[in-house]
Amino acid sequence: MASLVIDNVKKRYGNTSVLKGIDIAIEAGEFLILVGPSGCGKSTLMNAIAGLEDVTEGRILIDDQDVTFSSPKDRDIAMVFQSYALYPNMTVAENIAFGLEMRKVPKTEREQEVQRVAELLQISHLLNRKPSQLSGGQRQRVAMGRALARRPQLYLFDEPLSNLDAKLRVEMRTEIKKLHQKLKTTIVYVTHDQIEAMTLADRIAVMKDGEVQQLGTPQEIYDNPANLFVAGFMGSPAMNFIPAKVIESGNTIMLELTTNTIETPTTINTIETPTRLPFPNAESLQSHIGKEVLLGLRPEMITEPQPHKAGLEFTVNSHVNVDVVEPMGADTMMITRIGNNEVNCRCHPSYNMVVGATCEVMFDTSKAVAFDIESGQRLD
Amino acid sequence: MITKNAPRFTLADWLPKLVMAPTVVVTLVCMYGYMIWTGVLSLTNSRMLPSYDFVGLSQYERLFNNDRWLVALANLGLFGGLFIGICLCLGVILAIFLDQKIRNEGAIRTIYLYPMAISFIVTGTAWKWLLNPTNGLEKMMIDLGFEQFTFDWLVNPDKVVYCLVIAAVWQASGFIMALFLAGLRGVDGDLIKAAQLDGAGTFTTYRRIVLPSLKPVFFSALVILAHIAIKSFDLVAALTNGGPGYSSDLPANFMYAHTFTRSQIGLGSASAIVMLGCVLAILIPYLYSELRGQRHD
Ligand SMILES: Nc1ncnc2c1ncn2[C@@H]1O[C@H](COP(=O)(O)OP(=O)(O)OP(=O)(O)O)[C@@H](O)[C@H]1O
Ligand SMILES: [Mg+2]
Repeated sequence: MASLVIDNVKKRYGNTSVLKGIDIAIEAGEFLILVGPSGCGKSTLMNAIAGLEDVTEGRILIDDQDVTFSSPKDRDIAMVFQSYALYPNMTVAENIAFGLEMRKVPKTEREQEVQRVAELLQISHLLNRKPSQLSGGQRQRVAMGRALARRPQLYLFDEPLSNLDAKLRVEMRTEIKKLHQKLKTTIVYVTHDQIEAMTLADRIAVMKDGEVQQLGTPQEIYDNPANLFVAGFMGSPAMNFIPAKVIESGNTIMLELTTNTIETPTTINTIETPTRLPFPNAESLQSHIGKEVLLGLRPEMITEPQPHKAGLEFTVNSHVNVDVVEPMGADTMMITRIGNNEVNCRCHPSYNMVVGATCEVMFDTSKAVAFDIESGQRLD
Repeated sequence: MITKNAPRFTLADWLPKLVMAPTVVVTLVCMYGYMIWTGVLSLTNSRMLPSYDFVGLSQYERLFNNDRWLVALANLGLFGGLFIGICLCLGVILAIFLDQKIRNEGAIRTIYLYPMAISFIVTGTAWKWLLNPTNGLEKMMIDLGFEQFTFDWLVNPDKVVYCLVIAAVWQASGFIMALFLAGLRGVDGDLIKAAQLDGAGTFTTYRRIVLPSLKPVFFSALVILAHIAIKSFDLVAALTNGGPGYSSDLPANFMYAHTFTRSQIGLGSASAIVMLGCVLAILIPYLYSELRGQRHD
């Protein structure tokens, strides 16, 4: 297993800059996940690591060796593609053994290796089939087998599970996690799936427009997003962004937001009730007193009033209108409107919420974050 | 009482059938009708005009004792084998070169493909001039100072078939290239990346992964070329007119000569039926595998 250093890597196609200086370093055995919107350069970065595309600038080091200019086969990397890219005219066994054959491994050794990998992935009974005779999940396993057979220093997975159905995806996700724990391999993995990213990664790199927005552990990314983009990208449903005014009340700084409530269910008059929320690390908002900021609150931080939290430093109860109720089994999502923004609240399924009526919710701001409205940067 | 569901034949129901009818009739009569008629005639002793004195298979017996027919068949074997083989090799090689993201690919592709747009008559005539010893390639080389240069294949009974091959390859290989190029473009780019990461060089990648996945294209090309070869008539007519003597005859020329100019309709029909047999021998396995393949996928 090897460490990987991506040092200020840039990639341009003609005049369009696809990668604008990527800096990522991961340890041997680490599981790095790249996420980002479509077209942000994830596949391009993978290809650059694999040597399938030349970089315009910067260096790539694998195990402290500079491989920026080495050919793909000398980098000792295996890649699993979204399309699986199994060789259609070869059997499963030949597919798995091909890389070894190209590296002139003797036949008996190749066969042993194929057996080992097939047992590991439970595809021994498929070895004599052609890829066209396999199901999606089986193809996916074969593609992983082909990568595992060579025991490379570094594995690259480019959206390996996105062609599977939801159930199989969850199974394979667990399988990949087990495999990583067992083999302690270094992996770079691209995904669009939030849960895949959160569950698999040792660290997540969130990319946008060819730049890394934040690199950190899943919990860091979730709790401490560096900017509005990362905060909105990770988590499902996404973090709520609520415009709020920074005010000084007494000698503490608080955030004030306005919730709309209907006076009684029968009238259409709404009353605007200002709600004042305490904020952890409030001193950092000193320079913004009197201005609007965006308060970031995860849905699970706006709940039905919870007795065991009542009276804690960062909890405040308030009333909101119920616009939509979406039961999800374990929780019920309640959607309301604060200012001009939709806000998701994660409530207990037994909590009584009537669409069109008002209900009481509890804001817990102990993990709240604040962003500058213009730049989207974190303020606290 | 009139039931609501009584069948009523309106114009709208009949129109499609009416429109298709002439085509169906023409196909039935002109293709299958004449095919059957030819088969019938091949069993008679028809000479200048069709007659219906049935003589069994004796026309076939005469055919396979006819020297000129045997030469035509041997020529077909040689011509067909070389033509198909060279076209496939050249087509694949050209397609692979063109696939290397070169500049002006569109222009080059058009140049290679153009001969296919010309009729075999024009090809034959053009190559007749080029290969003519007294005013073609040979004269040019001699004029350039190579006094000893001889290139007399066109008038050499042992070599004249190769002239047919040269002209036919020139005409058809661009088309085969286009077929393979389309096939290559359809190969998943990730496959090639995977092969690169597995450590395969360009040559191995093509030999082990890309070309085997083009098997269907290869098969189609083979069938197209084989039936071009079997029905080649105009090329011979224009380039050599079967000569010198009948040394460059192909079965189609034999058939034409006997049926229409030498008043041997029975013999000509027998040769036509043998040619039909050859085409079917190629087409039936092809269609069979195609249809079976469809059922599997
Ligand atoms: N050969 C190329 N020439 C020009 N631009 C390219 C080329 N390849 C990719 N790009 C551009 O680079 C950008 C990044 O592409 P890339 O495939 O890396 O995106 P991605 O993050 O993998 O997206 P997705 O999640 O959809 O797979 C895209 O805007 C794309 O249009
Ligand atoms: Mg991609």
